[in-house]
Amino acid sequence: MSETYPTITQCAILATAFKILLFPAYKSTDFEVHRNWLAITHSLPLWEWYYEKTSEWTLDYPPFFAYFEWALSQVAKLVDPAMLRIYNLEYDSWQTRYFQRFSVITTELVLIYALQTYVDSTHGVAKKAAQAAALSIFLSPGLLIIDHIHFQYNGCMYGLLIASLILARQKSGLLASGLVFAVLLCMKHIYAYLAPAYVVFLLRTYCLSPKSVLRIQFFNCAKLGAGILAILGAAFGPFAVKGQIPQILSRLFPFSRGLCHAYWAPNVWAMYSFMDRVLIFVAPRLGLPVKEEALNSVTRGLVGDSAFAVLPEITPRICFGLTLLFQVIPLVRLFFKPSWDAFIGAVTLCGYASFLFGWHVHEKAILLVIIPFSLVALKDRRHLSAFRPLAVSGHVSLFPLLFTPAEFPIKTVYTIFWLILFLIVFDRLAPASNRQRLFLFDRFSIIYIGVSIPLILYCSLIHQMVFGKSYEFLPLMFISSYSAIGVVSSWVGYLVVYFFP
Amino acid sequence: MASAAPSPHKPRRKSKKPAASVIKSEALVRTPSFPLAAFLWPARTSLSQWEVLPLILMAVGLFRWAAGLWGYSGFQKPPMYGDYEAQRHWMEVTTQLPISQWYFHDLQWWGLDYPPLTAYHSWLLGKIGALIDPSWFALYTSRGSEDPILKIFMRATVIISEYLIYIPALVIFVRRFSRMSGVAQWTAWVALVAILMQPATILIDHVHFQYNTVMLGFVTASMSSMVAGRYMWAAIFFVAALGFKQMALYYAPAVFSFLLGSCIFPRINAGRFIIIAGVTALSFALLILPLVLGALYDASRGIDSRPDLDGLRPPLPIFTQLESYLDEKAVYYPVVELLVQMVHRVFPFARGLFEDKVANFWCAANVVIKLRHYPTALLQRASLVATLASIAPPNFVLFLRPRKELLPYAFAATAWGFFLFSYQVHEKSALLPLLPMTLLLAGKQGLGKDIRAWVGFANMLGVWTMFPLLQRVDLRVPYAVLTLLWAYLLGLPPTSTSAYFQEGENVWAQWATAVIHGAFYLAMGVWHVAEMFVPPPVDKPDLWVVANVGLGATGFALCYVWCLWKLTVESDILPKRLWPAKMDASKKTQ
Repeated sequence: MSETYPTITQCAILATAFKILLFPAYKSTDFEVHRNWLAITHSLPLWEWYYEKTSEWTLDYPPFFAYFEWALSQVAKLVDPAMLRIYNLEYDSWQTRYFQRFSVITTELVLIYALQTYVDSTHGVAKKAAQAAALSIFLSPGLLIIDHIHFQYNGCMYGLLIASLILARQKSGLLASGLVFAVLLCMKHIYAYLAPAYVVFLLRTYCLSPKSVLRIQFFNCAKLGAGILAILGAAFGPFAVKGQIPQILSRLFPFSRGLCHAYWAPNVWAMYSFMDRVLIFVAPRLGLPVKEEALNSVTRGLVGDSAFAVLPEITPRICFGLTLLFQVIPLVRLFFKPSWDAFIGAVTLCGYASFLFGWHVHEKAILLVIIPFSLVALKDRRHLSAFRPLAVSGHVSLFPLLFTPAEFPIKTVYTIFWLILFLIVFDRLAPASNRQRLFLFDRFSIIYIGVSIPLILYCSLIHQMVFGKSYEFLPLMFISSYSAIGVVSSWVGYLVVYFFP
Repeated sequence: MASAAPSPHKPRRKSKKPAASVIKSEALVRTPSFPLAAFLWPARTSLSQWEVLPLILMAVGLFRWAAGLWGYSGFQKPPMYGDYEAQRHWMEVTTQLPISQWYFHDLQWWGLDYPPLTAYHSWLLGKIGALIDPSWFALYTSRGSEDPILKIFMRATVIISEYLIYIPALVIFVRRFSRMSGVAQWTAWVALVAILMQPATILIDHVHFQYNTVMLGFVTASMSSMVAGRYMWAAIFFVAALGFKQMALYYAPAVFSFLLGSCIFPRINAGRFIIIAGVTALSFALLILPLVLGALYDASRGIDSRPDLDGLRPPLPIFTQLESYLDEKAVYYPVVELLVQMVHRVFPFARGLFEDKVANFWCAANVVIKLRHYPTALLQRASLVATLASIAPPNFVLFLRPRKELLPYAFAATAWGFFLFSYQVHEKSALLPLLPMTLLLAGKQGLGKDIRAWVGFANMLGVWTMFPLLQRVDLRVPYAVLTLLWAYLLGLPPTSTSAYFQEGENVWAQWATAVIHGAFYLAMGVWHVAEMFVPPPVDKPDLWVVANVGLGATGFALCYVWCLWKLTVESDILPKRLWPAKMDASKKTQ
């Protein structure tokens, strides 16, 4: 009787209908990437997977994801064996499309399951809020755009992440939580960004005694260590036997890429690049030197290339140092106050730090912040007011990912729909905080959300009408700078909330 | 009608009662009785319409646009392509040629055969489209264009036309009709979403491609004006509907009966009658005014309506007896010629009794008796008599009892009569009876089991009879998704049986409904399996289509009977002692 409506299952049915209707949407390169991986894992022996390079889209995910593709290929061969041939580049039968799209929908069941356990594990007044948060994750425009239009398997993997986070809620689930996270890491290494929070949390709550930091729980350490070793062994063991680990690592961590991805992810480097561009015009008047070669560099930022005309260069070392620094700050607090809420907060802040300061960050990585944050956004109104600018900017920053006109109404209307719906619902469900709110921050977020509408209009319609095909970088730069402001300010806002609860 | 026994459906059937009791009885309901109600569940408490309505419109718009990503009729089907090409071609004709040639230009290639408002609409869209890319509507060279950007433009025009006409009309109708029937606002929203997600409408307009919702929107606006008591506007909107698509004639008798009836009962109101008649005539005049002026203007510039012909003017295609009274050299002659041609194009009397396979009486009867052995004149007369016989009862009732709450029943029954028995019916025309029938959801007890079961049945059957049309252009997937989704949302078979068996109603009637509907749903399911996996016998290649037609026509006839029956019962036109059982049953719930 206490069930709230609509249930997750009902939403899943509705969303599945919508996602099937989206099958003929545009076909991105990731489509071909995953088809190629199906072909590689199906037709080659294990030890050739990470050496195969017929297609330019070589396998660059960790082994568990390769196993996952292998499992999918067992079904795929029943659907259309032609898609499993390595030399069949750009193969695109309707069976292939249907199979691939459908595999994303099916594997998303993991996410549905994880969210359902989240709702079930919440009791009392917070249950309604948990249900709303769970639905907001499941219906997230991020997942819709990235998984169901652009094509990736994030739904499944974020499902594992949430399952692992929820397991950590109970003392009895800590070990399982750590192991599920280890499995996830062996599927997609981007989650390593969140690992520091796990290390600290499990160390404090599972490996050390809750009463005293100095008393080590050796049996727990052994269980966790053995479990993680077994998982790593299952993932990398077969390759280690043949000495292929260096090859795998070179695939997983291609350091030759630039600071910013092709579309600038909305992080501090996007703001930095934007400043640099502005300074190109201002610097001569201030008497600052302008590096000529950076002006003409088209790639702007491959390693060894100078990306910035006025501002100092950024090296991977700087990125790494800044990321670690801003991850350690919340972790210190987590170590001394290891509650579940603080853990989720720390995971969120680790995601923030890596997204904002990381090297070659994808705009898609914003989900690494939004999804864990959603689990605690409804704790009280202060959390919510930090979440709001993130929800707007994070999703708006994904718009450039889909650039075809047919998908334009879907991405914009769906995102606006989601924002209106969940910001209204969250606003009603978030309880008042017992601390003073940062009133200026609320004003800021209202203005910020308001600006998004003319910005989207400009970038998607007006710019094209006024400038046609020229200055194409301009809308992209505006979107990422705008989004960067939102992400950075929500990060600052959340840091304040985290440290002064 | 609201009563003590708490059942999930009680609050949806409320008579006019103070607001307090409305809220109270709604609070009794703890669980939504079908998924669509669950989706709108959070909106029950204190959400303003300015929050709910935009969300509803965005959500249904997303489904429309996503469905539009699929193919359209005639996609990659040369040489003639399909409805999409017809609509695009009309934009080409109307923007590139003088108005006097619109109805004459190369009739073999999708010649314009819709009334003038469609032509003006095409002209406007063609002008806008040419701003984006003039090659889309270039004369001759643009035929059969498959430019993907053009597809997006065309899809957008359907959605925008719908959001400007159909959707506002529907929102207003649902609000007025539900208020009149004493239905709470939240319940009306549920009904609105159910109506907007009708699978047949989305599939025909946004996937297969047409602009039916414009005409249906004008009809809805007309009904909405009738509900509001604005008879003059009702007439104007209905003329607009007729002027957009001649198919709106299916409703014409009902409009006429209602408007005439409301001038006579309860007392004769001659002033109202004169005003309605005058406004109708004036609207028609306005409708054809651009054609008239265009014909005169073109004639004065020496532009001939048929530049492809040399020498003498060809005779009028119809109304040839007029020619002896007319002077071919007179100023008015081009006007007469154009209007006669327009009427000739719009009403193709010369074609056969039915085209293709459509789930109406004639096509179904053709399986048993080969109708083409009979002379056309006889068939035409038979069709006329049968149509008149079928539409007479509902219109007679509506004329005698011109009550607003009867409008959907009478409109639906009349349109079913036309669909089943009239001449030259198209399978897409099932949209016409489906609209007023689906509007019942917004009325008294609209979301109760009885009406939901029947409205659901009609819609599921209707979209099922359109399946042969859709699968010809590989639209099985959107068909299956949208149809099953709607069934799921409203708790209908094959997803649920929640729309059947309600406590406190006549048990026999409920069993009969459930058994009949169950048999139809089962047959539809079996048919789909058979059509998919079993090839028809060699000597009967059309077996599945014929089966579809036969079953569809039977089911539609049932829908007609149900609408007529409900109309009769609700109008209280029959002496009460004839229906003792009904009276007992309704006493229990009232």
